[in-house]
Amino acid sequence: MKKITNLKEFACTPDRFQGGHRLCPGCAHSMIVREVVNATDDDLVISTATGCLEVCSAIYPYTSWDVSWIHIGFENAGAAIAGAEAMHKALSRKGKLFNEDRNVKFVAFGGDGGTYDIGFQSLSGAVERGHDFLYVCLDNENYANTGGQRSSSTPIGAHTSTSPRGRVSYGEKQRKKDITMIMAAHGAPYVATAVPSTKHWKDLATKAAKALSTVGPTFINALSPCTTEWKFKPEETVEIGDLAVETCVFPLYEIEDGHKLTITYRPKQKLPVEEYLGRQGRFSHLFKPENKWVIEEWQKEVDRYWEYLQRREEAGV
Amino acid sequence: MAERYELKQKEVWDGNMAAAHALRQAQVDVVAAYPITPSTPIVQNYAQFLADGYVDGEFIMVESEHSAMSACVGAAAAGGRVATATSSQGYALMVEVLYQASGMRLPIVMTVVNRALASPLNIHGDHSDLYLGRDAGWIHLIANNPQEAYDMTLCAFKIAEDERVRLPVTTNQDGFLVSHTAQVVEPLNDEDAYKFIGEYKALNPMLDTKNPVTYGAQTEEEWHFEHKANQHKALMESFPVIEEVFNDFEKASGRKYNLVETYKLDDADVALVIMGSAYETAMLAVDEARKQGIKAGLIMPRVFRPFPYNEIAEKLKNVKAIAALDRSAPMGTTGALYNEIAGALAANGQSAVLTNYIYGLGGRDTTVEHILEVIKETEKNAKAGKRVTDLQGFINLRGPKLSFN
Amino acid sequence: MATPKEMLTTWDKVQFGAVLPSFEDPEHKVRSKFHSYNYSVADWRVEKPVFNRDLCIDCDFCWVACPDSCFIVEEVENKRGKKQAKIVGINYNLCKGCAVCVEVCPTPIKSLLMFPEYVDNDEALKQWPTKDKK
Repeated sequence: MKKITNLKEFACTPDRFQGGHRLCPGCAHSMIVREVVNATDDDLVISTATGCLEVCSAIYPYTSWDVSWIHIGFENAGAAIAGAEAMHKALSRKGKLFNEDRNVKFVAFGGDGGTYDIGFQSLSGAVERGHDFLYVCLDNENYANTGGQRSSSTPIGAHTSTSPRGRVSYGEKQRKKDITMIMAAHGAPYVATAVPSTKHWKDLATKAAKALSTVGPTFINALSPCTTEWKFKPEETVEIGDLAVETCVFPLYEIEDGHKLTITYRPKQKLPVEEYLGRQGRFSHLFKPENKWVIEEWQKEVDRYWEYLQRREEAGV
Repeated sequence: MAERYELKQKEVWDGNMAAAHALRQAQVDVVAAYPITPSTPIVQNYAQFLADGYVDGEFIMVESEHSAMSACVGAAAAGGRVATATSSQGYALMVEVLYQASGMRLPIVMTVVNRALASPLNIHGDHSDLYLGRDAGWIHLIANNPQEAYDMTLCAFKIAEDERVRLPVTTNQDGFLVSHTAQVVEPLNDEDAYKFIGEYKALNPMLDTKNPVTYGAQTEEEWHFEHKANQHKALMESFPVIEEVFNDFEKASGRKYNLVETYKLDDADVALVIMGSAYETAMLAVDEARKQGIKAGLIMPRVFRPFPYNEIAEKLKNVKAIAALDRSAPMGTTGALYNEIAGALAANGQSAVLTNYIYGLGGRDTTVEHILEVIKETEKNAKAGKRVTDLQGFINLRGPKLSFN
Repeated sequence: MATPKEMLTTWDKVQFGAVLPSFEDPEHKVRSKFHSYNYSVADWRVEKPVFNRDLCIDCDFCWVACPDSCFIVEEVENKRGKKQAKIVGINYNLCKGCAVCVEVCPTPIKSLLMFPEYVDNDEALKQWPTKDKK
């Protein structure tokens, strides 16, 4: 496992995901991908589901990747990486590897669409079969690439283009699906949540390094604040991610072997959810008097979940 | 090292077992497959071979056919020999990935056991799934019996992996009629079969991490046309390679296959175009017709895609009336084989009378008598020099006569 | 159109299977003409970050936060012999002007500030705010 010590040393890692891609200015996807890819010195084979990352990093005739990479479709990042990993196993057993001296790690990236919704089956199958890979969900809580439609990751009250705020609607009516717990319930050896941030860079990098060195299927759900669809200024990306953690809207934790839960960051002072919601245009309508109850629901839900995590960590089950 | 499987000179295999043995002998590196009737035994037999040590590749038991083909694409791009098997609903589910596989020029082999498409649900053999994947950019080979199912699967690997082709290949056999009907099959032994196919040569393998490559880029309006034209050209120009492989296979096995198969066509006035297990039934009908003085013959594209339209037109040069028999519901027009033959004739300035018959849907029995009936009908057109029968008829359909003009 | 004229090839010259190689010289890490590292997204921005080497403490926050891998680092050894990354510049071909780097820069007077695109970097450094001007 690559030793993650301090940022000054980590920053010596040569980037394997380069610029020149067409992601929005300030896009958190790229911050997450760079850190994950730098969390190991082994060779990589990466698969990506259709979505912002895929579309922006491989527009013929350009590619932004310094590593082998494949995109097949929206729903099959999990199956694609499973196939590549199985081929590696088969060639290794037959003694036909291309480079005997190189270690290869398998990573799949998917947006919340390609992970929570259309790609769920393929991911679930790949994790259940125990392939040795890391799946990173780049969660921007909507189908950003196609213009911001709702996904099962969209939190309640959010304005998206298919769950818009309107005269008779306050936006998304469903709660955000808890993908991390679902993946833990598969019995995956390691699952975790993370955010791209300068304050929590080490949290993400350590989790990625740990996941990459764990044998078997591992999963990281990375919150990816989306400047275009969440409606905030590009330079605020890191700040929004930090607020998500400080308000416990997106708690940082890890689960080993499907049951041992550890909270990896406790905010010294838990901020109220308004601090997080108020900074994003997609929630601005919730501050109207008739929608205030949604914010109250938010606070209740965040408090309940934070309480649950703490009790579960304490109980060690 | 995989164990050697002792095979007799003559085995009694159904189409599924024949295909499974062919996959085993090809020493496929990764098989990712999902069971579906009637191709399930291929997957089961392969799993048994694996459990008994006859296979040393990987077998991924995926959770759906879509993931089966996706895993095959991921594995093929990674850089090794890949195969799978499916039928109807599963084939329909993975159709999206078929286009993705052929666009990336990955030499995947798929043995399809042709079965009807729902609704209503039906598990028996017809060609609806074969026709569904026509435009996906795969090479299609047709097998009429278990021997051909075995032979075509071996040839499929060699055709797909040829550097002048590098396209995925499907071998097709009728559900239950071929897949579950045991006949005598004369297989090659393990060494000869593998020697015929040869070692897998990787092209742009992802696992050669010293030379990283990007698969599946997006091409918008400035690029898509050029890529698709290039792919189409590869398909159109794969005929010489397919013929070469068939010649090599004749040297290895003594059995000769052709792009277009014919039966008693040389002096025929009346010809039937028919694919699959019914071709052999039709051979008996042709013999009977000849006894009754009708000069009948058969023609079949052994290679359905790319479609050998010039060869077929050439062979139908002197035929006066042709009936194209389609084993799939045409849904609003004339059947696919009718359309392909009509195109072939038109492209070559030929003008035989052409009619269409729909038969055998969902495993409906089609007998020698039924086909003899069609031959007699078609002879009426040959004698009249123009179409005097219906344009599209239905064989062995219960109820009042249904036809379209 | 996104493709520069010199990259626009004909149907008979497109990459096989649309597969793109990352390197033309993998051993020396020379990226191919197909690599976006050799593409420019500079025309996306209207303001650019200017880097002030004198104020920088090499915390590397800008390096980790930049979505476009713009920060050019040089590996140096610190006093205790441990390797660390020194920021030496910005790859302006890849910078989209998102200003995340400016936001995360922690120095009391920031070592990165946004200036209009047309301002010369040396000019910008002269205009840098000092302790009195807040």
